[in-house]
Amino acid sequence: MQSFNKKTGRYIGRYKNYDVYSNEIVRISEENKEDINKKLPGEITFNYGPSAGGLEESVNFNIITPGERINSVRVDSSFKRRNIKILNDSVDSALLKVERINGYHSASNSICFLLAVENALNIENGESNNKRIIEIELERIRSNLHVIKCLAESAGFSIPEKQLSYLIEDVSRIISTVFKHRYFFGANYINDVNGNFNNLNESILKIKNEFMVIYQDLLTSKIFMDRLQENGTVRDMNSTGPAARASGYNYDARLDSSSLYYESYKIFTGSSGDVFSRFMVRSDEVFSSIELIENTEIKENESKNKYDLNKSGTGYARIESPQGDLFYHVDIKDGRINDILMVSPSYLNIKLFEKAMPGNIFTDFFFVWESFGIWISEKEVNFI
Amino acid sequence: MNIIYYLPLILIFVSVIISIKYRNWGYILSAVSSIIFIAFTYRTFDYITYFYLIAGIVWTITSIYSLSYGKNYGKWLAPLFILTIAGMMTILYANNFLVFIAGWEIMSIPAYLTVAINKKNDIEAYVFMFFSEISTVLIMVSAVLSYYYTGTFGFNKINNDYVLLIFTLGAMSKMGLTPFMISEWLPIAHGSAPANSSAIFSATMTLMGVYGITKLALLSPVSEVIGILFIAIGIISVMFGSLYAYISENMKSLGGFSTIENNGTLLSALGLYIAINDGIFRAFVLISILIFAMSHSIAKTGLFLTIGNTGTEYFSGISDNKGLLARMGKFFILSSLSGLFPGIGGLGTWMILESFFMGAFIQGAIGISSIIGGSLLAMGEGFATAAMFKVYYFTDNHSKKNNKNNLETYTIFSTGVMLVFLFSISFLLIGKEYISGIPNVLIFNGFMIESRFGPADFGLLSPIYVVLITLFFTLLAYLVFGKPKTRTVKRWNTGIENNETYNSFTYSSNIRLMLKKILKTNSGKSDLETVDIFWYFMIRIASSYRKLTKYISYKIMNSSISTYMIYMIIAFISIIVIVSLY
Repeated sequence: MQSFNKKTGRYIGRYKNYDVYSNEIVRISEENKEDINKKLPGEITFNYGPSAGGLEESVNFNIITPGERINSVRVDSSFKRRNIKILNDSVDSALLKVERINGYHSASNSICFLLAVENALNIENGESNNKRIIEIELERIRSNLHVIKCLAESAGFSIPEKQLSYLIEDVSRIISTVFKHRYFFGANYINDVNGNFNNLNESILKIKNEFMVIYQDLLTSKIFMDRLQENGTVRDMNSTGPAARASGYNYDARLDSSSLYYESYKIFTGSSGDVFSRFMVRSDEVFSSIELIENTEIKENESKNKYDLNKSGTGYARIESPQGDLFYHVDIKDGRINDILMVSPSYLNIKLFEKAMPGNIFTDFFFVWESFGIWISEKEVNFI
Repeated sequence: MNIIYYLPLILIFVSVIISIKYRNWGYILSAVSSIIFIAFTYRTFDYITYFYLIAGIVWTITSIYSLSYGKNYGKWLAPLFILTIAGMMTILYANNFLVFIAGWEIMSIPAYLTVAINKKNDIEAYVFMFFSEISTVLIMVSAVLSYYYTGTFGFNKINNDYVLLIFTLGAMSKMGLTPFMISEWLPIAHGSAPANSSAIFSATMTLMGVYGITKLALLSPVSEVIGILFIAIGIISVMFGSLYAYISENMKSLGGFSTIENNGTLLSALGLYIAINDGIFRAFVLISILIFAMSHSIAKTGLFLTIGNTGTEYFSGISDNKGLLARMGKFFILSSLSGLFPGIGGLGTWMILESFFMGAFIQGAIGISSIIGGSLLAMGEGFATAAMFKVYYFTDNHSKKNNKNNLETYTIFSTGVMLVFLFSISFLLIGKEYISGIPNVLIFNGFMIESRFGPADFGLLSPIYVVLITLFFTLLAYLVFGKPKTRTVKRWNTGIENNETYNSFTYSSNIRLMLKKILKTNSGKSDLETVDIFWYFMIRIASSYRKLTKYISYKIMNSSISTYMIYMIIAFISIIVIVSLY
């Protein structure tokens, strides 16, 4: 890591002038200009967003269409760009800001940031490893349920949508019970997780059973399947998370990153690379995350360690957030953040969406968009 | 026969000569002779003469329009245009096959020259000539057959349907009906024929085919088989014609395909006429054909004049917004072509559909064909409405202010008004046996059209009441609410500057995608190109034929003496065998 020269390993994404690979960070001369597709006769530009019904976050879609079919789409996420003042902050202060980058993926961001800091300050991720895994897997369950809920909503399936919303609320309440906050705020610290894991397994089993019923019902709906199958197909080696696994790539930071140690994890992959395949991978991962939580042993810290954070160093961490590889690189100088680099999986997922959409028609748009579980808030972070 | 009766024919040929030197006088004389032609030949309730009325109206309109429009073209246009009309007038005057064929050629050759002189490529002119000559050859064959059966070249009663069948095949080639669609749309669309010529190619040249088929159908016996065959060909033409019209970006091509659709409707109605034996029903179908032909020809003329008035060929090239008069004329023309009231097209479509749905009451194959045919015709009309709406909206650039009116605009407006006028007085054109009233509900006797195949009526329509009620409520709304207040505001697109608008191509892409297997839509990422499958298969057949001949020339006729020897021996043995058998 940190060679800034060669491209080795798989591509994780980009932050400002840096391309991040699983084994290297490569500085690029300047951010590549987005290539604008030339319009053919008869085609028009249809603009959707940045603030419009059906969109959870501010994002603009520049769609080129000859009518009905979408021939090209460019995602402009810059409307959500946020300058987050973090440089020269202490680790404690920076952590408060990082865990609020995206509430839905707060655990992933906080843990990945802390792992990078620990890596920089030579602090071993020991007793908290399993607790952190539980946090991330709980977050993954909620995030995947959210994506599936959005797919049901796109299909106009109000009943499963409401059932899934209810289930998401249940998961949030479990998180709130265990970590004292439904978005994990204040739960994480250097090599420490503040949580009460008693009765977690019983609660999570209930989620498993309830989701199984909804999942089976959705699979028996031919209408739902028709909307998902052969829709938004994409296969690209530069992909990440469930989208990559749905296309047959066994990319998973739980397997190929040492930042967090997973004792045993069985990867799920699809082959078709369409919305249905992404739906299947996410659903399977809901069950596998529940299994991981059930099988992860929790050892309570006997004593709270005190770490000296007023040191200097450079470190990185990469974890499998619900939507794919999340990467943090920090440079700490005398306990203060000197430089920070973050790559969200939404960067690659947006690229994949842009590749998946051409050839599909307008009514497929929301299925394809929702299937990637993109969070613009994560992608458009500018640390200053 | 009185020589005065032929005065219009003499005048039209004279106007051809005059137009060589004096273009405008040629057009004026052409219009005058067309009006006299109507006056001399049209007789109410003598249904075959309705063709004279239709043709005369179209020639008059196009001749007047050409006074202004023809300025944009060379000296050659006026004589060729008028000579085409002269050919058609000869056809309508013909009382035997020989004069008919002469008229057919007088009509076709100047039309071919119009396409050829104004050509972009050679192919359009050749296609036009090729299919014209196919039609001539087949009509000649039917003439010879008629002579064989009747002993004269006159139009006499015939005991079988062969003459009608062969003649119809010939007429189909001219009318652009399946599988000869290319003969209609290609020369018009890509041959860059001027709009006035396109109008007479599409509106009256194809009408000559309908006229010929009708004339022979009146002389031929009832034939269920041929009737159903015509219904089938007609319906296929309607479906494909309307689909291709809907997706056409070239406005003239759209007009050409619309003609194919209309001719398909006419052929299927003629099929119904040929297949049924009921006197009352037959007469109603015949009137339906004539009313529909009238609406198609006049409205189609209006459509081409509207297209000509845009000054461009493609929707994408539209730069002007025409005045209110042009828009009103266009509205009536296009609603008539959509089979909607208050144009006479609404009546024509209603009558044709009534005919088919009444046909469903006949037992057996014809009943089934009728109900299927009627349903598909109605579907085709739906597509036609969508195609016409496309013309209505996308032939104006809505961001521009209105242009001033000129002679072309007035002609378009007059054509639209004429369609409404003909609709209003249509009860005067239809035989008394189909006219009645319901005085109890204030529809007085003589103002209502009844569709029926027996003593009881099947459907009712009072055109004059439709027009009067529409007019009354329109005026009432105007008096109560005044002039509609509209305002144009700049679009706000959540802060994104994007001034593009929905266009004609995007409008019809839904069908390009939904019917991509039929339309052979290019589903790649480049664009949504479609293919006329009849043209596609014709090209495939031609290409296969060329491959076959090449194969024969290389493998068999390859100048090899041994191959020739084998060929001669086989031929010699074959002849001996054949001769010995007899």
